Amino acid sequence: MSVASLSPSRPPLPASILRLLFPLGAVLAAFAVGMAVVVIMGVPLDKALFAFWRGAFGNAYAISASLNRAVALALVGVGFVIANRAGLTNVGGEGQIAVGGIASTALCLTPGMASLPLGLAFIIPMIGGALAGGMWGALAGLLRARAGANEVITTLLLSFIAIWLLYWSVQSESLLRQPMTNSATLPESLLIPDPTKAPLLTGSYASPVTIGLPILAVVAVIAALALRRSLFGFQLSAVGLNPVAAARAGIAVGSTMVVALFIAGALGGLAGALMLQGEQYSLKAGFSSGYGFDGLVVGLLARGSIVGVIAGALLFGFMRSGGISMEMAASVPSALVGILQGLIVLMIAGAAYYVDREAR
Amino acid sequence: MIAEAGMLASDAAPGKGRGVTPLLAMTGVGKRFGAFEALADVDIAFLPGEVHCLLGENGAGKSTLCNLIFGIHAPSAGEMTLAGAPYRPAGPRDALSRGVAMVHQHFSLINELPVIDNLLLGGRLGRLDRKGEGRRLESLAQEFGLTLDPAALVGDLSVGQRQRVEIVKCLMKRPRVLILDEPTAVLLPDEIQSLLAVCRQVAGAGCAVVLVTHKLAEIERVADRVTVLHRGRIAARSDHPADEIDALVQAMIQRPVARDGEAASGVLALPKRQRPTPLVEAEEAMQLDGVSFLDRLGVRRLDDITLSVDRGEIVGVAGVEGNGQSELGAILAGLMRASAGRWFAGGRELTEASPRAITAAGVGIVPEDRHAVAVVSGLSLADNLFLNRMRQFARLGLIDRPRQRALAAEYIRRFDVRAEGPLIRFGSLSGGNQQKAVLARELTTPDLRFLLAAQPTRGLDIGAVEAVYRLIRDAADGGVGVLLVSSELDELIAVADRIVVFYRGRIVGERRADPANRRTIGALMSGQAA
Repeated sequence: MSVASLSPSRPPLPASILRLLFPLGAVLAAFAVGMAVVVIMGVPLDKALFAFWRGAFGNAYAISASLNRAVALALVGVGFVIANRAGLTNVGGEGQIAVGGIASTALCLTPGMASLPLGLAFIIPMIGGALAGGMWGALAGLLRARAGANEVITTLLLSFIAIWLLYWSVQSESLLRQPMTNSATLPESLLIPDPTKAPLLTGSYASPVTIGLPILAVVAVIAALALRRSLFGFQLSAVGLNPVAAARAGIAVGSTMVVALFIAGALGGLAGALMLQGEQYSLKAGFSSGYGFDGLVVGLLARGSIVGVIAGALLFGFMRSGGISMEMAASVPSALVGILQGLIVLMIAGAAYYVDREAR
Repeated sequence: MIAEAGMLASDAAPGKGRGVTPLLAMTGVGKRFGAFEALADVDIAFLPGEVHCLLGENGAGKSTLCNLIFGIHAPSAGEMTLAGAPYRPAGPRDALSRGVAMVHQHFSLINELPVIDNLLLGGRLGRLDRKGEGRRLESLAQEFGLTLDPAALVGDLSVGQRQRVEIVKCLMKRPRVLILDEPTAVLLPDEIQSLLAVCRQVAGAGCAVVLVTHKLAEIERVADRVTVLHRGRIAARSDHPADEIDALVQAMIQRPVARDGEAASGVLALPKRQRPTPLVEAEEAMQLDGVSFLDRLGVRRLDDITLSVDRGEIVGVAGVEGNGQSELGAILAGLMRASAGRWFAGGRELTEASPRAITAAGVGIVPEDRHAVAVVSGLSLADNLFLNRMRQFARLGLIDRPRQRALAAEYIRRFDVRAEGPLIRFGSLSGGNQQKAVLARELTTPDLRFLLAAQPTRGLDIGAVEAVYRLIRDAADGGVGVLLVSSELDELIAVADRIVVFYRGRIVGERRADPANRRTIGALMSGQAA
């Protein structure tokens, strides 16, 4: 159970019992604090808990919605972990989701798209969303590789640009806004045609888990394999741990960084496409509502582990659903969920600090 | 007379300072960083009115000594007194308030602010008294001949002027002890002259000036007394340094004085290399043709270096550190471009080549800064053994780990790397084994024709030093041309065939690697024409 049992060639994986216990403890402690807050607010605890449970796990629909949320978070988180392996911190998930959503919407609404055969009607917009997000990320990568611009700043600022692009797209009829038939027409895009919607696994809206879940499974397996076993994963690690030595060893440091941020952005863009094609069906302002940042937190918490990303994404996905339901049914502000997430992050980060220090 | 350290260990204020109360005295001072002993048994006194030079190579402990005086580190052993009173600074702030000031190698100035505001930095909170500070600056300028335009932006100043700002910043605090840590490393020759003049004047005002350097010309010009450090201990002192430069050089580059029954040198036990007579006509492995390098500040670090290394030959580069060796290493590694001149290896021009192309041309590089350039400490030993050749294990983009491990195990055996296995974290290996692993990688470069080994034995214990040199010699016997850069002259003499001497970025002489030439080479290293 000491950290020495870890494979030494990789950044630590949460394989040790300690590393599993700490997050678990942190989650339990955070929930205890959350319940205390609910009690202090004067809301009957059983009522709040019941609402939370119903929202998160209460029926097939609730579970499906939670899973879809977790998928979006996990995609962003996996991207974060990949870029982070190259020493890059991608905080631009929100913007990458937005451009992914814009591109996907535009493609879904392209005349003729809906009549494409073989599922291309929904596949092409997804790929388009991923590519758009990837370019958005690669832009920050280029700025870093060419001009040395810090990617934390550039990905964040590019996010703001993307979010305003989104507003523009849904406000302007010449872009994606639906035709204004009367003064009450909302600043949204048209609903995307049915064939471009992400297929549901069960085929029933009673349990609307989309194709995003198997896509995530494939992405996660490929990512885990690539990080552990591939030449590319090795190059990412070398660049992240010592760019000078990597350059001396003939690894193209700049392009590795660009590709790493492209992948991170592409996964964000894919998350955006899935949110649009699998859940919202029309583009509107506030399209992403924090998935990029929550995904970033999931990636941070996972500390380099893809399994960790999945676990964190499931936790946050279900918490989000539960929180929304708690607000509606028990009038506990869903901001409480944000507080609990913050608490979990702080406790896990603190615990990790001590575990690492003990391990030295 | 040069005094050997051991003889003077009990004498706190040796030489002509006898009878004068030292401004700052250290008795039996030592400093450990973990298991590493950076300083041990240092007895030294700095007297009012003297320029006291600390001489020694990189890693000799000069900077550590300064950091103890300035309160950046606390000594692990020994006592310090300031003007007779116990002195244990809690930090630089404390040291400054007691009248000890230090000019660091790296400036702590804000380029965007004018000189006068930089001088006001670190002062008391409250109103900024630009006028008053300006008046003080003026009087200081008159006293020491340090003219500065208070309104000029620091970013617009030359390096010499920036350093002048740093010095004035210190002098404003009216220090009793002024430490300058390698102040001339960044300066042009005429700037050096005026800096040394300032040192003289500051000392003339009753201050003790501590000047860290490894340049002997400066000692000749300015030093009243010199203390030589070698591997954390005092190796020699001189009260008449200008007359004893040769002896000081010898003290600086020697193996440590044998003490406490410790062996004086392991390398000298290596038999002198007999270069095998080439069967065919000598063939060049590497050739430098008029290579120069100007750094970002325009200082000429390498000046028209022309040198060739034959296959099977070991050419040593001697020189006090900081005379262009690092720059040459970076150019040969492909991490910097020569400002002028060309270089070739294995018959190919590599002047503009990338690191990958240099490796492909059959050039192996053991850089002087292993951790920064050669390895990724956070990866495994096996990964580092193939850092530049991982592609050979790739199949459809996936690394064939079993095959990599097997080959790594073979290298580990062949080069005698002592490790618990190929998967161990590289950073957890000892320095000697790390270096053997780097050599293993570089010596197995396909079609190896030329090897640069820069300070390959730094920080290694004697056993590892021998192992490293055995590997390098075997490579040379196999027909590889080797350029061996080392600050350990004895090692060069034992291992190399011939030795070129670097001084201020130039080759100032070449000698056969013969113990009989030791003294001449030492003189060349100190910049004295042979």
